[in-house]
Amino acid sequence: MMRYFARRNPRMVVGGAMVLIWLALALFAPVVAPYDPIKVNVLDQLQPPSASHWLGTDDLGRDVLSRVIWGSRISLSVGVISVSIGFIVGVTLGLGAGYLGGMFDLLVMRVIDALLAFPALVLAIAITAALGPQIQNAMIAIGIVAIPAYTRLTRGQVLSVRAREFIVAARTIGASPLRIVVRHIFPNVTNALVVQATLATAFAILAEAALSFLGLGPQPPNPSWGQDINYSQRYLANLKWWMSAGPGLAIFTAVFAFNFLGDALRDALDPRLRRSA
Amino acid sequence: MTRYILRRLLLMIPVAFLVTVGVFVLVRLAPGDPALTFAGEDKSPAVIAAIREELGLDQPMPVQYVAWIERAVQGDLGRSFQTKQRVLEAIWERLPATLELGAAALIFSITVAVAVGILSAVKRNSVVDLLATGFTLAGVSFPSFFLGIVLILLFAFVIPGKIFPPGGYVPLAQDPVENLRRLVLPAITLATASMAVNLRQVRSSLLDVFGHEYVRTARAKGLRERTVIVRHALKNALIPVVTLIGIQIGAIIEGAFITETIFFWPGIGRLAVTAIPSGDYPVVQGVVLVSALSFMFSTLVVDVLYAWLDPRISYDTAGA
Repeated sequence: MMRYFARRNPRMVVGGAMVLIWLALALFAPVVAPYDPIKVNVLDQLQPPSASHWLGTDDLGRDVLSRVIWGSRISLSVGVISVSIGFIVGVTLGLGAGYLGGMFDLLVMRVIDALLAFPALVLAIAITAALGPQIQNAMIAIGIVAIPAYTRLTRGQVLSVRAREFIVAARTIGASPLRIVVRHIFPNVTNALVVQATLATAFAILAEAALSFLGLGPQPPNPSWGQDINYSQRYLANLKWWMSAGPGLAIFTAVFAFNFLGDALRDALDPRLRRSA
Repeated sequence: MTRYILRRLLLMIPVAFLVTVGVFVLVRLAPGDPALTFAGEDKSPAVIAAIREELGLDQPMPVQYVAWIERAVQGDLGRSFQTKQRVLEAIWERLPATLELGAAALIFSITVAVAVGILSAVKRNSVVDLLATGFTLAGVSFPSFFLGIVLILLFAFVIPGKIFPPGGYVPLAQDPVENLRRLVLPAITLATASMAVNLRQVRSSLLDVFGHEYVRTARAKGLRERTVIVRHALKNALIPVVTLIGIQIGAIIEGAFITETIFFWPGIGRLAVTAIPSGDYPVVQGVVLVSALSFMFSTLVVDVLYAWLDPRISYDTAGA
């Protein structure tokens, strides 16, 4: 059955496998990482990649591979939690705005328009700078930035579904608005939401790395992909390329995995979103 | 068209109001007391109270907001805690550098995307197409700050000759050649993600347009393929790209924060990023406000341009 599914949806299998590998690395980091990511060992500082340190070491002798693996915990947890915040708030607002309409819809969409008026990363920077440079605040900031996409998507889906016969029938037999939204409308919008959640996770990982690069994420000595790349800049002149290559390629492969999976899900789950190309 | 523009401008008013409320709230959420910063060495309660009264910080929040808006409309966004310079003045000084970088990135992104997108669509499923399709996904996944560092490593420390210096800024009026040399790497860094998006859209739009009857008719009339593409297909295929430009102006604004930091480019993005660790919140929020309002305005311009380019769009009758 797996071979059948792989033949029908090879991109989903490849994307899903890449995502699962990163999730496994994050989950089992304490077991998989060969060294302690924050333990200083000046005798081994600035070593290039070798058999004992596959991605080399940084200026404090810390193993780059171990920092990359432990850093995945932060990046993926920020990705998942911030997307969850955006999902819960955004979908709730979208369901309400789409089904109830009227003044509630008007108010919600104006607030969403105001959030969308900010370039996404600029808003995340502003919120994190205001709340303080901590990982929890980065999660909140990226979660807030994710809300508009879910709200608009859900509202659009609700508007297209609510006039259908089965919804009219449910209303006719006296079903409450809450029951109609939860039992009848929401199941019909989940496909698009699953695609959006996957693609939003990719954005969240990239946004967290960007915030960390700017010093607004987890603070040293905790491993963080973006922060480690920022830190590696001072050693570029000495050609210590491995200090940035490890976390840089980690960000790229993790984001690529979620984008790839999201694209494949979009093609598989929602024929209307399938591109002609 | 006129009614559409007026309607959009009217709708922008409540959105702009909410944007200013958002920025005001973020300023108030920021840690630290501005009165303490302005007090200098004398931090006695009497001095702090006098400063709070002078700055209006002892007033209720709605009153503070109205006072802040009144000052903002007159161009007073406060003063930097660090340099005491007026925030709007600091932004105005650095805006040309950001605009130059943004314009270069946009031109580079669109030029490459259109050229490669046409090639990719015309030679579908060829090596060029596969590489281009791969780039569209890789380009949006590659972190721009890592790309910037890779480019610095290559052009400043690996490839001899330092063709493109790794950072710094020389005003265009002072030395155009040096300005352009220093513009190349940051512009490529900033352009890459939007180039990937544009490339995908150009390819997708062209392939869609190639299936239309008027293109088949043009080919059936015996027109050269280049004429079919340039005179008939491309014009319609590029219309969706125009709407993407509006979105990408936002991406370029946010990308500038990171790119200017990596390359020491003295734009408003770097101004905000260097203000964050020192707690210079008036500067950060001033830049955020200017960025948001610029993005709103550019989106409106692009929407109007889209309607002008495509006569099928009628915003007066459609529920846009």
